[in-house]
Amino acid sequence: MVYELAGLRVLIKNQYAYTDKFCFKYLSDDQASPVDITAEVTKEEFEEEKKLSPNFSDGYIENICLYRSICMQMPLFGRILMHSSILEYEGKAYAFLGRSGTGKSTHTKLWLKNVPNTKIVNGDKPILACTEDQFIAFGTPWQGKEGWGEKTSAPLCGLCFLEQAKENSIDQLTNKEVTSRLFTQLLIPETEEGALATLELADKLIQKTPAYLLKCDISEEAVQKSFEALTGKNYAEK
Amino acid sequence: MQIKKGFVLREVGGETVVVPVGKMSKEFHGMINLNSTGAFLWRFYTEEHSVEDGVNALCAEYDVEEEKACADVERFVEILTRNGFAE
Repeated sequence: MVYELAGLRVLIKNQYAYTDKFCFKYLSDDQASPVDITAEVTKEEFEEEKKLSPNFSDGYIENICLYRSICMQMPLFGRILMHSSILEYEGKAYAFLGRSGTGKSTHTKLWLKNVPNTKIVNGDKPILACTEDQFIAFGTPWQGKEGWGEKTSAPLCGLCFLEQAKENSIDQLTNKEVTSRLFTQLLIPETEEGALATLELADKLIQKTPAYLLKCDISEEAVQKSFEALTGKNYAEK
Repeated sequence: MQIKKGFVLREVGGETVVVPVGKMSKEFHGMINLNSTGAFLWRFYTEEHSVEDGVNALCAEYDVEEEKACADVERFVEILTRNGFAE
């Protein structure tokens, strides 16, 4: 079936029903027009993934492989997968990044609890699309283990890298500081043209998007710090 | 010595970054961050050259003493060889 993902038409050739149900909100009304990306899973890819996750169903395994196939092709269409939790507030998207276990989910939950009119674009694997002026963050059906996200999109207006700390502080990062931190969160294709396209997009992302390092605990003060830096507003006006 | 095929190099956010592609991406996961000397030598050694060639090239490009250039090239070659990036 053909789906609309991050503004592209994606034909997903799945064997298992799992993915039909998983992606149904993103089904395209137009099944006939040409597609941008075709995703299918080879036997080898499936077996490889099965080895990594032996306790999951075949439908789930195929589903993971399909998203990888889609995201590996995305850079040639000016789009990248950035492992992160992206929130939307007043029409602008903000991304929280960090290694697994640094508290992306916790900080995301703190925003939802403390900042009215916040919603999650995608809690784990959003796609970013490059436009002339900025990147647009897109929700996708692949939303991580918590399943947080919506079929929505918003301009990406800030990156916030997280580190656990006893006291809360936030500082803007230089482009050079962002580079190495960002790389571990991107999916880089194995083909030369795909890898080069990804590096080009990463460069643009760094140039166009302000980035911060938030050292934080799990208190509301942590949200105040990231809110004020990212939105430029006073926390009292949230 | 020559850097193996299977890498792409690009400026990203003011840094010079190298990532593996193709077969190399199965052997090595991650990125290499190069300083300006490293980036210069990486480009130079994408073709076969001796250590001596590298020292000469580095001295011609930068205002650097031969002894320092020699130490830089030897270290560069050692790191690349140890990691299997060059042969």
